[in-house]
Amino acid sequence: MSDANRKDYVWHNPLAVWGTATGNEKADSIEVPDPRDVWDENRAFKVPTYKVGRLKHYIIWPTHGDRLWNRMRWWPTRRNLLHIKGQYNRKTLAAEKKIIDRRPIYWALCLLIIALGPLFFPADMMNTLMTAGAIFGVFAAINVCWTLIIGTASIFSLATYAVVGTAGFISSWVSIKYGIPWYFLPFIGSGVGLIFGAAIAIPALRLDGFYYALLTLGLNELCRVFFTTSNEFGSASGGLYGASTFVNDTWEPITQSMVTYYSSFALLIGALFLFRLIHGKRLGRILRMAPEKREAFAAACGVDYKRARITIFVVTSIALGFIGGFYSAQYRGIAFSIFGFDTVLLGLAMLAIGGIGKAEGAILGTLVVVFLDKVLLELGPIRHFMIGALMLGVVLFLNNGYFGIKQQFNAWRDKKRGEWRSSRSEKGGEALPEEATEIEDKDDLYFRRFDKLQRDYLKGLVTPQIIEEHRKQPLGQHSEALERVLLYFRRAKMEDKYALHRAGAQGPYKIIAFSGVRGVSPRLVDDREYATLDEGYHGVFMRRVHDLMET
Amino acid sequence: MKEVLKVEGLSAGYGPLRVLHDLDLVIHPGERIGIVGLNGHGKTTLFYAIAGLTGWQRGSILLNGQQIGRSRSQGAGRYTHKIVRQGLAIMPQGDEIFNGLTVEEHLDSGAFTPEAWRTRKERKERVLNLFDPLRKLMKTPVGRLSGGERRMVSIGRGLMTDAKLYLSDEPSLGLAPKIGLAVMDALLAIDLKDSAMFIAEQNVALLEGRVDRIIGMHAGKLKGEASSGVQLGSGG
Amino acid sequence: MDITFVLTNAIIVACIYGLIAIAVSITWSSLGLINLAYGFIFSFAGYGAWMMAEYVTENPALVAATGIAVGALGGVIVCLTVFIPLHDKPNFTTRGMIATLAISLIGSQAFLMYFGPRPKALPEIFGFWKVDFLGITLTSDKIGIVVCSIAMLAVVVFWMRGSRRGLEIRAMMMNPHAAAIVGIGIRSTGVYVMAMTGAMAGLAAILLSQTYYISPFSGLTPLIKGVSIALCGGLGSVQGAVIAAILLGLVEALTNQFLGGQYVLMTQFLVIIMVLIVRPRGISGLLDKAREQ
Repeated sequence: MSDANRKDYVWHNPLAVWGTATGNEKADSIEVPDPRDVWDENRAFKVPTYKVGRLKHYIIWPTHGDRLWNRMRWWPTRRNLLHIKGQYNRKTLAAEKKIIDRRPIYWALCLLIIALGPLFFPADMMNTLMTAGAIFGVFAAINVCWTLIIGTASIFSLATYAVVGTAGFISSWVSIKYGIPWYFLPFIGSGVGLIFGAAIAIPALRLDGFYYALLTLGLNELCRVFFTTSNEFGSASGGLYGASTFVNDTWEPITQSMVTYYSSFALLIGALFLFRLIHGKRLGRILRMAPEKREAFAAACGVDYKRARITIFVVTSIALGFIGGFYSAQYRGIAFSIFGFDTVLLGLAMLAIGGIGKAEGAILGTLVVVFLDKVLLELGPIRHFMIGALMLGVVLFLNNGYFGIKQQFNAWRDKKRGEWRSSRSEKGGEALPEEATEIEDKDDLYFRRFDKLQRDYLKGLVTPQIIEEHRKQPLGQHSEALERVLLYFRRAKMEDKYALHRAGAQGPYKIIAFSGVRGVSPRLVDDREYATLDEGYHGVFMRRVHDLMET
Repeated sequence: MKEVLKVEGLSAGYGPLRVLHDLDLVIHPGERIGIVGLNGHGKTTLFYAIAGLTGWQRGSILLNGQQIGRSRSQGAGRYTHKIVRQGLAIMPQGDEIFNGLTVEEHLDSGAFTPEAWRTRKERKERVLNLFDPLRKLMKTPVGRLSGGERRMVSIGRGLMTDAKLYLSDEPSLGLAPKIGLAVMDALLAIDLKDSAMFIAEQNVALLEGRVDRIIGMHAGKLKGEASSGVQLGSGG
Repeated sequence: MDITFVLTNAIIVACIYGLIAIAVSITWSSLGLINLAYGFIFSFAGYGAWMMAEYVTENPALVAATGIAVGALGGVIVCLTVFIPLHDKPNFTTRGMIATLAISLIGSQAFLMYFGPRPKALPEIFGFWKVDFLGITLTSDKIGIVVCSIAMLAVVVFWMRGSRRGLEIRAMMMNPHAAAIVGIGIRSTGVYVMAMTGAMAGLAAILLSQTYYISPFSGLTPLIKGVSIALCGGLGSVQGAVIAAILLGLVEALTNQFLGGQYVLMTQFLVIIMVLIVRPRGISGLLDKAREQ
């Protein structure tokens, strides 16, 4: 209530014409503003407000209610193909369904595209694309397994390619030396993977994440140096070649590359199944209960997270060994470059680009990196430069790779929304939210709020004019402004309510305040004495006005 | 004379939680001001907002005439060191000490301006005169000290530079009453010259009558003589 | 070959790789960053010194100084591209490590494109002379390497102990939040730390190129060795890194002597793994209260 809103006017007692009036005949007073203004002003937001809530963009499919109960299931389990929810439209009451989890559809579509890819490859790039596709399959399989280690088991191992390479070299060497046929190689590789995995799992039990990462980086280098310098593994030819293979030399070249492509694809599917079996089932769920830095809590809940991690690590190492053996069976051997620092870097780039901890991230990252590395061959060394730049950019700007963008954006938006909303909220003051929850009678809260608004309004009415009006004639009809103020004062609680005490037979009067408690006598407010009753009334009024302006 | 601290319309909070509601506050040179209030009503948040450590804040904060308030949230603590260098000494709640450093190194670490670093010997001597028990602990790692000694180190670290404004957050928290009183005595005995001191405390009795004014803090709003225009006595 | 030769070799190896190990260690404990871009900084400093020698002057002191300065510059580059944008983001440690790896990938490819795959040799910095010391013949480069690296280490340790910046760095190692409160800027301190550790890597590059050549990928082996030593000594501890450097240098020299060169890495890793299994935070990782996470 600013002073500018006040309009002075002269109030005439409407009862004066009948000559029955008590009180002033006329008085200087002020125009009374609309009491609703205070209410509106206090309830209004002074800042733009926006709609809250969020839209879920689900596609709604029509259905017959009966069809919901006859869903397709994965044979022989009772699992549904898709997570579908049946519902009734709120307006039309028509039965409809929505697909809650659409990821299986995307997976199926993407895998179908990879499977049918060779049909759509342009003829002039057929060879390059088929080779790249085969390599993509193998590397995607490796990266899916690596995701299991880094993501699910949270063991930051960089020795994945060392396991693959060791298994590949040893199975090739066994095959060359003893003439073992190709169909045994993956299993020999698995055995090597088991031994290697178990051996490097021992330090993982004791070491913290990044100590282990650095150690495995060293182990990778150790393997490189060992295999390149040893005599048995053919240091001259850049790798060990000559193992038995399932790709027959006498076939047409196109048939050979088709076989390679689809066998790699089958390997990828196998790796994905392994991922699903470990990540989506008991072991993965156990470890999702024990995320990094909260292991102690999980252990207190009875989760043996160390055992689960090591189990995953060893199982995945066996799978990696299998991939190594498969690799040498497919390519007749294996090259030293598998141990190279660049291979580790490219592998890490694949994981980082897609997002660590997600199978789809590993596959997308592999696709991007293999495309840059193996398809755009004519670009020369700038390819690796581009991969590095991409990796750096992703790591700098994205919390968890491509597939983390949605989550990161939502988190950012929620944070900003929360900040905006709370920084522009204009309420508060009468009662803290936390205090409000403690008060049983919610009416009390509303009363406090209303009382505050009313006081704010009345403060604007207290002016010298109405004080003067009251002084002249405390009783009787008053102007509206004074009348409103007096009405509020009369409604005050008994506790600390003022009253006049007549000290003698004819006065003087003193102001006392009621205790508000039965049996407790009123207290004297001050020693000031008022000669007449009207002066006393005005003294009480002034005291009340003072109290009102103080609050 | 210019105000040491002038806060206008300061709101601050963490994410969706708003702790401070449009505060106005003026602190004059030479003043000692106590701020009292219950837990969770925003005393520490007010200090953090002055130091730029809250999640977000809005409003103007003038420290010695320079604007240190920020309207955008740019990560808590991103500019704290710059604000501190403009003349703010923070003696934080819970001490925030460097466990491995000795008491001496600890005091040195408080002397971050080149001028303070050059005269750090005299400054240390001054702190030691205030907190005599530290004198024989100079070579001890801070991690081994008792709670009261840590508090002394933490306050002494704040006194190593010539700050314009000293913020002391609950100097008696978690200490035995006698030690708490001693720490408070030492804090109030500091010669402020033209700087000011702002002490948050839950125990009103420790401050009553010994500071220039006491401000109440309730539900993120200040009660009492927060923006008192009159300049009171030059500290006592 | 006698035992003194083995020992001098061990000390020399320990000196060079120890520098990188201490750089890795300090970076980790003060910034919380696992910097695997020291390989890049190493080659960067080497190429910088080589360009100085090739195009400006072959004055040994100037060449060495250029190497150190370029190394420091490399450290600052890594700090600006990795530490400053990332240090307050979630998953900083993992992302920081991957980002430094990305920088080393980019860096080595850039060197490959610009300088070509052919290795470059630096001029002899320490000249050709020999000293007979208690019956042991010490060549100039050996003495130079030992003296230079110990001098560098002494300077770094003295600086960390005595100066205000050093105090700031150590304070930040202990409690980054409290460091901000006493006016220590995390970003600017990060730049100092990275410049200092980069200079150490630069010196290591100059010293090592007395024996080996500079090539785009020549930083890899020193990085791996440095990281291994830092691991073995306990990340964050300078004394630990020194002890580990001597221990691993000894293992390398002994393996060379008795088993043959190709087993060096194997024996070293066996030693490291054994040390880490007994003390998971390295030789002195438990001694001092460094940042633990």
